[in-house]
Amino acid sequence: MLREDLGLTGSKRGCDLGTCGCCTVLLDGVPTLSCLTLAKLAEGREITTIEGIAPPGGLHPVQKAFVEKGATQCGFCTPGFIMTAVAFLRDHPSPTREEISRAVSGNLCRCTGYVKILDAIEAASRAMAREGASSA
Amino acid sequence: MTPAASGEAPAVPHRLIGARVPLVDASLKVTGRAEYTDDLRRPNLLVGRILKSVHPHARIRKIDVTEARKVPGVAAVLTGDRYPRTFGVLPMTHDETALAVDRVRYIGEGVVAVAAVDEETCERAFARIRVEYEPLPVYDDPKVSRNPVAVKIHERALRDTNLQKEVFQHFGDLPGAWRAAAHSVRVSARYAGVTHAFTEPHAVLAEYSPDGRLTVWSATQVPHYLHRALSEVLDLPMHRIRVIKPEVGGGFGGKSDPFPHEIACAALAMETGRPVKIVFDRDDVFYTNHGRHPTWNTVGIAADALGRFTALDVEALLDGGAWSSFGTVTTYYNGVLAMGPYQFPNFRYHGARAYTNHPPSGAMRAHGGTNIRYSVEVAVDMLAEEMGWDPTELRLRNFLPPHSTTVNEFRITSNSVRQCLLAARERSGWREKFRALPYGQGIGIACGFYISGSNSPIHFTPKFPQCTVHLKVDMDGGVTVHCGAADIGQGSKTILAQVVGEVLGIPLDRIRIAAVDSDTAPIDIGSYSSRVTFMMGNAAKRAAEDLRRQLVQAASDLTGYARESLECGGDRIYVRHRPQVGVSFLEAVHRAMEHTGALHASGSYESAPMGGTFKGARAGTAPAYSFSAYAAEVEVDVETGFVRVRKVWAGFDCGRPLNPQSVEGQIEGSIHMGLGQLLSESLNYRGPRLMNPSLLDYKIVMPQDMPEVECLLVGEDDPEGPFGAKEAGEGPLIPVLPAVGNALYDALGVRFLDLPITPDKVLRALEEKERREGRLSKPAPPAVMPVPAGGTDHAPR
Amino acid sequence: MHLDEFQLHQPESLPEAISLAREFAGQFDYLAGGTDLLPNYKMHLNPRPHLISLDAIPELHRFSPDQGDLGAMVRLREMEGSAGLASRYPAVAQAAREVATPLVRASGTLGGNLLVETRCFFFNQSYFWRQSLGFCLKADGDRCHVVPQKEKCYATFSGDLAPALMALDARVRLMGPEGTREIPLTDLYPRDGDGIRRTSLRAGEVLEGVTLPPPVQGLRSIYLKLRVRPSYDFPELGVAVALCQDGGRVSHLRVALGGLEMVPRRMDALTDPLVGSQLTGESLRALGEAIRSAVRPVHNTFLAPDYRRKMTAVLVRRAVRSLTEGS
Repeated sequence: MLREDLGLTGSKRGCDLGTCGCCTVLLDGVPTLSCLTLAKLAEGREITTIEGIAPPGGLHPVQKAFVEKGATQCGFCTPGFIMTAVAFLRDHPSPTREEISRAVSGNLCRCTGYVKILDAIEAASRAMAREGASSA
Repeated sequence: MTPAASGEAPAVPHRLIGARVPLVDASLKVTGRAEYTDDLRRPNLLVGRILKSVHPHARIRKIDVTEARKVPGVAAVLTGDRYPRTFGVLPMTHDETALAVDRVRYIGEGVVAVAAVDEETCERAFARIRVEYEPLPVYDDPKVSRNPVAVKIHERALRDTNLQKEVFQHFGDLPGAWRAAAHSVRVSARYAGVTHAFTEPHAVLAEYSPDGRLTVWSATQVPHYLHRALSEVLDLPMHRIRVIKPEVGGGFGGKSDPFPHEIACAALAMETGRPVKIVFDRDDVFYTNHGRHPTWNTVGIAADALGRFTALDVEALLDGGAWSSFGTVTTYYNGVLAMGPYQFPNFRYHGARAYTNHPPSGAMRAHGGTNIRYSVEVAVDMLAEEMGWDPTELRLRNFLPPHSTTVNEFRITSNSVRQCLLAARERSGWREKFRALPYGQGIGIACGFYISGSNSPIHFTPKFPQCTVHLKVDMDGGVTVHCGAADIGQGSKTILAQVVGEVLGIPLDRIRIAAVDSDTAPIDIGSYSSRVTFMMGNAAKRAAEDLRRQLVQAASDLTGYARESLECGGDRIYVRHRPQVGVSFLEAVHRAMEHTGALHASGSYESAPMGGTFKGARAGTAPAYSFSAYAAEVEVDVETGFVRVRKVWAGFDCGRPLNPQSVEGQIEGSIHMGLGQLLSESLNYRGPRLMNPSLLDYKIVMPQDMPEVECLLVGEDDPEGPFGAKEAGEGPLIPVLPAVGNALYDALGVRFLDLPITPDKVLRALEEKERREGRLSKPAPPAVMPVPAGGTDHAPR
Repeated sequence: MHLDEFQLHQPESLPEAISLAREFAGQFDYLAGGTDLLPNYKMHLNPRPHLISLDAIPELHRFSPDQGDLGAMVRLREMEGSAGLASRYPAVAQAAREVATPLVRASGTLGGNLLVETRCFFFNQSYFWRQSLGFCLKADGDRCHVVPQKEKCYATFSGDLAPALMALDARVRLMGPEGTREIPLTDLYPRDGDGIRRTSLRAGEVLEGVTLPPPVQGLRSIYLKLRVRPSYDFPELGVAVALCQDGGRVSHLRVALGGLEMVPRRMDALTDPLVGSQLTGESLRALGEAIRSAVRPVHNTFLAPDYRRKMTAVLVRRAVRSLTEGS
């Protein structure tokens, strides 16, 4: 539905069975597997995809951190990880590394060994804290 | 940006080389804007699906597709007899067809291809296809396949067996060396098959236009081989075929063969005149496999009384599955890659690869070098224990020196394996930990090496370089790079940009890497054998140097200074001794274009001839080799058998790291993949049937189970690598398996020789040990411990 | 992959759901999260032409851990994050936290996990895969490939919450065409079934919610899960223990197991004799061994059955020990 009818191809199809996390979107702000969500049950609810988190022409702090820390290699899992991370950092602004590992443990990555993904999420949490502090 | 004036002829520091440059396409990937094959849309697009064989081995008596053709919405139904010509990645072993012809050889092999308006219609058509099979004897065990068989899986199998390839090599006098040895060990180990498990399933989109041209977009690591295979099987000249590689969501070797579904999809597009897209379901990816061979190997190492290795004796039996794929290479690699990083004066190898009715095995990251390395490094560890030596000392005594030749005539150039080992030993606190940690905890070490690009290209006719790079300069000074090397996530586009930017002294945003498109990209033979940084890097460097010559000439014309006194940097071309004098890059470009209106440059790489003259001498030769030594620390829950790898110290010699962040990414990802093979991943077959074709049941490592990784990049510049670089994409996988295997021995006193080492196997081994020895205890410490820190050069050679 | 065509119903009340169930008797599945059902449907495992989603029924979403009252549609994500649940019924919160992955827990529900389809290597496969083998008793076929015979399905119960809730004496409320009833959770999983009909649910009945008795003073509980990886994997074994001690003597002890057999199981016959006694290393070891020899896993999950049995003893010991140590 998202990919075929709306042309939002940022969310990827990696397994169709809920076992890879590449299709993660936010459903009312909660990271959700779009492959296991019936479109009709999402009616009237807010869906955010990777296409919808960055300010126009810019990057979300999590996206920026993924770029800078080398957290994306082939990039196929990246949108899913980022959606998970964006929601996670919203709810847990200063997480430990262990909490981050757990939070992304429904997203598979085969390139990075997760190390730089965790680095990036940590870095994003710090950057967002700084931003929050400076805008407060 | 004015470079500091130094007065002297300065060694201009590298600006882009060696910098932690983010991937040039990262911003597309993090925003979901990078386009993978499944993201592409074409008007009037059809969906293609492939009906798979439910039999592991059967003759096809008859295929009736009459009813399927009548299903509304079906545009084409294709069977194997339409395009029966065989193909395969190696020219010598063509044994695949686009769809099964007369015979199926594994569960999951493609039999009929259907193009229709949607997936459901394809499935409806499948339900109306009648295939009559006559079951044949099933071969699911290479130990059976190596003997005379009733039915050969392929006619080309050797003699009356199902062996696809057999290799015998003998250098020196192995039996003599073995008899004279003061110490010897022999290790036999078994390795389950593992697979790449990239996140993007295979996908291909093909379109045949009325002008007789075929365009194929595919998730491939090797656009050029696909181009050739399409041409051969479809009987279309290459100039009427255009292959485009969009973003690829990981490959690891699993997208390096030309695949039947790619050809079938193109054939469907030709039949229908409409664009057709085939995207695999995840289980199709598992059946397509081409992963690491299930392997049985035996390694014997002999040494003299001084601890010098005198002989290496290797046997390997590989389960090749239904097709040849890269198998001939795999069979060689399992022997010839056993030797380095050590020196062995005598070497014998007997390798065999058998056809079976399993999904085909093929090339997977650190192809042919992984399983044998585990056995060798465990054997070295055992030998050290038998001799009462510290295993790091035994290794140090036996390393190949830099700039040497192996007994099978590999030319070794730069080699920092010694530095790798010393760094890993030092950083890991080896001396305090080895044989000294509490029971259940342990530390282990292991080394490795890998080819930095296969010296012999798979296709050698017509003769052409292994890689060529074209540069085209825009009127505003932008540089477009055309190259056929496939970026599959490893970052080759970024390396291209860094190399070109470094030579020309321009920032990365001036450089645009064109997508791989066979209409515009010169030939590159693909992203495999860890060849891209080395070969493409050299080609790109030469192309950029060619361009620089033209621009420096232009700058010389403009400034009146001699070419030799000019330098590129900071987006300028300036006088080395008077940096304030110069022209902008753009001024030089405009001057150089003045009479041509265009500015182009080319560079290519061709490796030097090397290797011996004996049969198979080219296998494993490479213009350079990476080297490695990893230490790993583990902790075992001795009641449950669960293994936790706490930390890996990864000593790696990739020459000069062109982009340390990328190199680290390759090492970390390799450790993830290696630990998976070691501890939890396996293709579980019961008979011919794959029991776990899913990402739920094929168990790749989770983030919580990743150890801390400390990368120790200690290599020196390689004399032939671009800016001194060597490979870092595959070699980093190899040492992690035996390092952890040896650490498990240190922790538990048990050698694990059956991979993966799942918790149930650990527990069973501990129970056996307890039964045998009456107690559980650590192995005894060696008599010879390493010398104190600082004593780095004590090799007896 | 695709879903076969089905009609989705979204009743907004229980009576409406039950009347739909009556209308489409035998032709429907309730949809309560979908993280188990939809993958199975995509693999064409017993799909039905009607799906009755329970998502729009407000009362099924109620979540009052303080009252021990949990609606069937409470998301696992909500349960794992609930401080109230964690403090009153720790084993339940732990079990919720251990299910699959965070993404699955965002959609997966309490009711869905209690009624999760049993699992087997020969069942949880694509249509193509099963066709190549000739199908099995549980879907489209007539024989079992794990224990070769044609009467009984040996697929493994793989929910995490059931053992945890059983150990805490949970009851389930069931509503159906014939009215409402409440039964102990243990009775939801009859042990004498054929493995195909896995629960005592009657035709059309909805699992409406779970009630937990208020924890008695000093009751402690824990859930331990054995699996190859710390996420994704279904339990190869799940052990829940609830324990209350009074002056060093056991006043209450429950052990429940999942991930081992066709149904989750509470081991009262082996734990009841320990009530009134003092727990020693020896009695604990004996309990573990007794439980180990009482369970009969089969080879249809990743880890070998003899290993899973051994681990039953280990995890029971560990669970009890961790409850006694902290007290």
